[in-house]
Amino acid sequence: MTRVTSRLNGLDFQQAVVYFGFLAIFLFFAVTLYDDGFLTQRNLTNIVLQTAPATIMAIGLVFALSAGEIDLSFGSIVAVSALSCAVILQDYPLPFGVAVGLGVGMGIGAFNGVLIAYLKLPSFLVTLATMGLFAGIARSMTDLRSIPVMNDTFTGIFGSGKLFSVPSLVIWTVIGVAVGHLIYRHTRFGAHVLATGDNPRAAQVSGIKVPRVRLYVMMICGGCAGLAGLLYAGRLQAAKYTLGESDLMTVIAAVIVGGTALNGGKGSVIGALLGSLLMGMLNNGLILMNLKVSDQMIVRGLIILVAVALSLRDSNR
Amino acid sequence: MKHLTKTCLSAAAFALATLPALAQTMGPQGETATPSNVVAVADADVEAVRAGNHTAALLWHDQSDFVNAVTAGATAEFERLNIKVVATTSAGFDAAKQRSDIETVLAKNPSIILSLPLDPVTSAAAFEEAKSEGIKLVFLSNLPSGYEHPADYAAIVTDDLFQMGKQAADALAKSMGGTGTVGWIYHDASYYVTNQRDNAFKTTIENDYPNISIVAEQGITDPARAEEIANAMLLRNPDLGGIYVTWAGPAEGVLAALRANGNKTTKIVTLDLSEPVALDMVRGGNVAAIIADEAYELGRAMAAAAVLDLLDQDVPPFVVAPAVTVTADNVAEGWMQSLHINAPASLTTSN
Repeated sequence: MTRVTSRLNGLDFQQAVVYFGFLAIFLFFAVTLYDDGFLTQRNLTNIVLQTAPATIMAIGLVFALSAGEIDLSFGSIVAVSALSCAVILQDYPLPFGVAVGLGVGMGIGAFNGVLIAYLKLPSFLVTLATMGLFAGIARSMTDLRSIPVMNDTFTGIFGSGKLFSVPSLVIWTVIGVAVGHLIYRHTRFGAHVLATGDNPRAAQVSGIKVPRVRLYVMMICGGCAGLAGLLYAGRLQAAKYTLGESDLMTVIAAVIVGGTALNGGKGSVIGALLGSLLMGMLNNGLILMNLKVSDQMIVRGLIILVAVALSLRDSNR
Repeated sequence: MKHLTKTCLSAAAFALATLPALAQTMGPQGETATPSNVVAVADADVEAVRAGNHTAALLWHDQSDFVNAVTAGATAEFERLNIKVVATTSAGFDAAKQRSDIETVLAKNPSIILSLPLDPVTSAAAFEEAKSEGIKLVFLSNLPSGYEHPADYAAIVTDDLFQMGKQAADALAKSMGGTGTVGWIYHDASYYVTNQRDNAFKTTIENDYPNISIVAEQGITDPARAEEIANAMLLRNPDLGGIYVTWAGPAEGVLAALRANGNKTTKIVTLDLSEPVALDMVRGGNVAAIIADEAYELGRAMAAAAVLDLLDQDVPPFVVAPAVTVTADNVAEGWMQSLHINAPASLTTSN
């Protein structure tokens, strides 16, 4: 009994919320929606496919938040990257489109990063401004038109394709999480990110190049948003200026519920994945429950509120 | 030569695409319109449909009074025919969310999907899975690119868009005594519904009212900018007799600009019902008329079109519901005719 109590005391409550929350909500939907197809392989696969872009964005945001920064502009980056890629693919082969899409994402991330790391501007204000700036650019670059993506290889790799029966979006999710987790937990750079977020002055004194870390995390965040843009373009076989626009709050909530601290120094890529899946599962289950749209929004909001409150409870102590 | 042929074909296609604005509402692919009251499930077929235990999903683009009324019309028709609505969603104008919504409801194997495709380009892939599973698709207003009738969908149902624009022109001209200058605030985007309505207004003024001239034209995409657009328009044209505003959201901003300028003479017409705009109208303010669609009837006709397709009966490809001109004199009746709900109390007690 003492051992159990001791282990419970040692459990990271903030990180555990997402595991228990995910399990509880999954079990609830599995029982209540058993006859409505929730547990079918197709539906469960759909949840992963639908959340793939948000999961990739969430991984980037884990790095930014862990370093004590925030990126509010990633939704706009998604749209600019997707549109850039779609426009390039109309006249050039696939590698150019992919390179431009990812390059635009990382480039905007670098732009944010330079303003934050070297001009010492607060990331909240910088990315709030660039969110509007790049949303406007996304609107103007194609005059509000949607751009079709006709390159079958691209839509296969980034959207509807499969490799050994595994959907490409699932593969991208696994690769993104594995690479993100590896860098975050098992490299010196990951440790520097956490140290910078935990105490930037101490990190600087101990030899970590804090501005460079800040620049890199914003580039990672932008690059992930760029990749998310490619995934959206592949999945929809088109790009539009609205892509990513509504993901900001969902992704922030997924990352916080996943155990990443808002004020830096702590985070989890696996938690972000579960947080993102939890959000997708909520959307999916509430629709299958045949709730009215307004009721879906209310229930989703309340569940996220509880999950975020529980996740942040530990760090507020 | 090849280039010339291509240019001629493009010109012909453009001419066809712009032709509808000249005379009447036509479908996105040039289909002629069928009035919605023609689309109905015959009494003789009702029992067969009721015994079929069919299901339907309603996948909307957003939430609004309009969507609620369309939903109510469709749901009432489905209830009459013992068709269960198994899911209702709102994509919040997010194309990716609409795709996810479609995938999610497929888990419930609906027989029918009623939806407003957000965008012809992005919706084409989104509805592909539902189409390939043989689900009866009825679209509101928009058509995914490359979809063919009747193989891919049962029908497109929409407002009588030309009539909406024309009735807006008629109402504004009447309020101005058939003479004066007009400002035209149109939706500056490639969007079938608003483009048709806006162009119908302009065409009607130009063709039917020789003593009225459009002296200012300004596109709008963000309703929040309507007030500054109206201010600039009034600054350059202080004697404007009337302003056409593409829909009610920006009309609220235009109204705010007129009030701020102390302008009580410039008349406004707009489209789609809005309580603040209607309140100004019933109080004898700047708003002369609001042109509304019969949203409840749109929903009923969508449901009926899907059921006719289930019965393997011919369904007209392009169905339109009539437009209603709502003025201070008929606001209660107009609200009921359009949305199938009572007008807000503020409107009926302000007369």
